[in-house]
Amino acid sequence: MDFRTAAKYASLLSKDYAEDIFALLVNYQAISASEAAARLNLHIKTAQDFLESLAQLGILSKEEVFEKKRPYYHYALRQTRIVIDIDLMQIKREPTLNSLSLKIREKQNNEARFAVARNDDTITSVTIWSGEGRERQERKIKLTAPQGKFLYYLPFPKTTPLSVADIIQKAGIDESLAPEILDLVQLLEKYDVIEQAPEMRD
Amino acid sequence: MTLVRKLRRDQDIRGIIPFLSILPIFGLASLFYGIRAGFIAIGIWSLLFLLVYLYVFVRTRNFAHLVICADAAFLGAVFLVFSPQFGAGSFPEIEFKAVYAAGILFFGILIFALVITRRLKWRGREILELAGEPVDEIGNGYTSRPRPVGKMDYTLEQIHGFARFAARNLIALPYITSKNITLVPIKMGEEYFRLLGLSGDYRDATWVNFDEDGEVSVHIAQKDYLEYREPLAFDQLCVSLGQVFIGFFELYKKGEGARFIDRMDDLRIPIFS
Repeated sequence: MDFRTAAKYASLLSKDYAEDIFALLVNYQAISASEAAARLNLHIKTAQDFLESLAQLGILSKEEVFEKKRPYYHYALRQTRIVIDIDLMQIKREPTLNSLSLKIREKQNNEARFAVARNDDTITSVTIWSGEGRERQERKIKLTAPQGKFLYYLPFPKTTPLSVADIIQKAGIDESLAPEILDLVQLLEKYDVIEQAPEMRD
Repeated sequence: MTLVRKLRRDQDIRGIIPFLSILPIFGLASLFYGIRAGFIAIGIWSLLFLLVYLYVFVRTRNFAHLVICADAAFLGAVFLVFSPQFGAGSFPEIEFKAVYAAGILFFGILIFALVITRRLKWRGREILELAGEPVDEIGNGYTSRPRPVGKMDYTLEQIHGFARFAARNLIALPYITSKNITLVPIKMGEEYFRLLGLSGDYRDATWVNFDEDGEVSVHIAQKDYLEYREPLAFDQLCVSLGQVFIGFFELYKKGEGARFIDRMDDLRIPIFS
């Protein structure tokens, strides 16, 4: 199951009335939104949305019913177990040869402030300002020890850029920690604190 | 030979404010409470200076500061001990004047000699000038990040001794933590603020850091970078500052630290700059 689908499941299951609606679905052969709403004292729209969302996820089947009134749907359970199974490794950003060979350096006039650790050759946080006047905002990024070390060895603005792999090596950071370094690179690039070497840009 | 300066002319007058402050203090105290109160104000001011300079001595072990301490103690004693009788008729005014004149003359000449021989000069400006000397490339590139400049071989005893030497000769003020010795060069006029902790965190100043593994890193404060006439290539400037201290340490290791002081003297930077 991918993360987004799991999040939808979790969101539905976290509703206060979720267990009560599932109790109706388990004990009734099929139920309509108005029946469920009347039984649980919910607004019909609330019950309708919930059941519809479950149907979209494939947990319920729905059948259109035509009686004297205008048509409506009957919902029935399609499965009696809900299993949320997420492989977290699928969201791990594995360093690729391309991402590690990215040549980077600090960007000139980036409006970032770096806090240096008192006891170690490392940077503890980066504070970035963005916007003008009343819109001016401050964002503080606390760094992990490897990230702080990496930033300490990042080439200065207007100097020869180095590849991410070279900086990792220079800073003496274990290669297995590359994903968190790449995450920082991505973040700081977004905030215009670092830049890629011009020749490496697409 | 004309020296080409990389730094702008020093126009910082903050350094003389503490000394000059005695004049309005004396004047106001005399105006409101009489001449005796004016002298007492000078005495109290002198004792405050004594405390400040005693602290500078404890922090740096620069013996020239003890002379200022002695001068401040003398002035404090003269004005606080004798001034209650001064002008009241019970103390012979001529004797007071004689003691005062002799003391002022003695300490005046001594302090003048110390100033002229640069024994009371903080060398931050010389350090920045030396760092800028080999950098010809213009290019800015300022960042508030420190720059690792290399690895050196030293023992902790050696680097502690070096830090003491730098402090004693007012080249840089050391800040010692469990893993690092950070040397902060201080320019004339900044010493009170830095020593009394009024200049903020020393990590925001210009510094050269020596860690326990031999790594040397450098940070240049933006305020100091703007002291250069031109926007020198910042990366090169940081490396150069590191090299200045590495070279200085090598001389110190050979017992030739005095040569580095000669090098700074040769720059002929004005005494109060």
